[in-house]
Amino acid sequence: MLEILENNWLLFLVGQYPHGPIGGLAMTLFMAVIALALCFPFAIALALARLSPYRWLRLPATAIVHTVRGLPLIMFIFWTYFVSPLVIGRAVGGVETLVIALVVYEAAYLSEIIRAGIEGLPKGQVEAARSLGLRYWPTTIKVVLPQALHNMLPSMVSQFVSTIKETSLGYVISAHELTFAASQVNNVLLTQPFEVYGILALTYFALCFALSSLARLIERRISSGRGGAPGVIVAA
Amino acid sequence: MIRFENVDKWFGTMQALAGVSGEVGRGEVKVLVGPSGSGKSTLIRTVTRLEAIQGGRVLVDDIDIASRKVDINRLRQRVGFVFQAYNLFPHLSAIGNITLGLTKLRGMGKAEARERGLAELARVGLAEKADEMPGQLSGGQRQRVAIARSLAMDPQVMLFDEPTSALDPEMVGEVLVVMKQLAAAGMTMICVTHEMGFAREVADEIWFMERGAVLERGKPTDLIDSLGHPRLQGFLRTVSHGGDIHR
Repeated sequence: MLEILENNWLLFLVGQYPHGPIGGLAMTLFMAVIALALCFPFAIALALARLSPYRWLRLPATAIVHTVRGLPLIMFIFWTYFVSPLVIGRAVGGVETLVIALVVYEAAYLSEIIRAGIEGLPKGQVEAARSLGLRYWPTTIKVVLPQALHNMLPSMVSQFVSTIKETSLGYVISAHELTFAASQVNNVLLTQPFEVYGILALTYFALCFALSSLARLIERRISSGRGGAPGVIVAA
Repeated sequence: MIRFENVDKWFGTMQALAGVSGEVGRGEVKVLVGPSGSGKSTLIRTVTRLEAIQGGRVLVDDIDIASRKVDINRLRQRVGFVFQAYNLFPHLSAIGNITLGLTKLRGMGKAEARERGLAELARVGLAEKADEMPGQLSGGQRQRVAIARSLAMDPQVMLFDEPTSALDPEMVGEVLVVMKQLAAAGMTMICVTHEMGFAREVADEIWFMERGAVLERGKPTDLIDSLGHPRLQGFLRTVSHGGDIHR
């Protein structure tokens, strides 16, 4: 196992770069970060729409969230893979496809986390803000969201962990990420799949376990910091 | 200044307010007392439309607050509201709680808002706590910051919803002092409270409420000391003998 790692660590880390496209662990992390960052505004919009008193906002947002959450990610990836070239009018690479699919998919999940964070705030917070004469948007931006997002930080880190694991599905559309790199190594060595995929598993585990631990640490800090209102960890 | 005309309010099938009428003049201090669930808090919450009403009218400066012409956010700036649970914004410092409204609603710059905020904190005796977070303050201090936050908007009326009920007994006094100062300065106030000493000292009139109606109203001396309504006398006995009047 060590020998495999010794000979192929660079491929695991950055793919074929600099002689080919960047891939491996670097691309896995890059895609997870980008997908989560890009889906964030959509997630907030969906969460606010879901909590809106207006039916015409609430119903479509609810429908979107439930639809996306009711479908497997792999289906989304295939769907994006075949549809986005038609929409954009040119070939779309594996990485772009995966990021697009992840943004849509994660937006639905993240929006539920944010919605839970908003609903978890004491009702008095909004009442106090509105009582000062603040309108909806200043109340939301200055009072509701800072608290909700802060309380939901552990859940968001957990969501990041899930996203990292989900990028491995990029393998099926040849997105150059960590799993893809491992399969390349496996194709070269041919006889040691257990060891190669063992390295892959350990790498994912180390990364995800470290992040989950971070989430727990943040959660403890939050619940001790403001005396109460512990965040909810969404199982990754 | 504030007039209730036959105000009805239901929570589902439970009638919280049953035809409440009454008037609060400029500079007057009205104290609402009564057992819990009698509709005191609900009544003052109708003034800024924190609770919608199903019948009657609530008028502020002779304007029906339910009317389409009323900008409710403007109205809320003119009517300060102090909550039982303080409802300070925990992610903002004491001064940050106060300057939020000033910068967002009054268009003040940061420096100007801070100066005004400090003045309000000094008024409630907390200038030196300006940069502390609400979590670092005691209950009494939090409630004083909440009062300062409301006062910073230059309200013409202040509504207090059991402002001392959540406080430990030793902190009740510091909040009542601030409220008495406000009353002495001529602020129009409606206070829901069980602090009968406070009521006796500053109230122009006490309204005794039960089951969503004002059962009796009168000057504190008449109402507390003489024999009022038997229900009121019963209530006063529980308030003074109960021992947990601050809970």
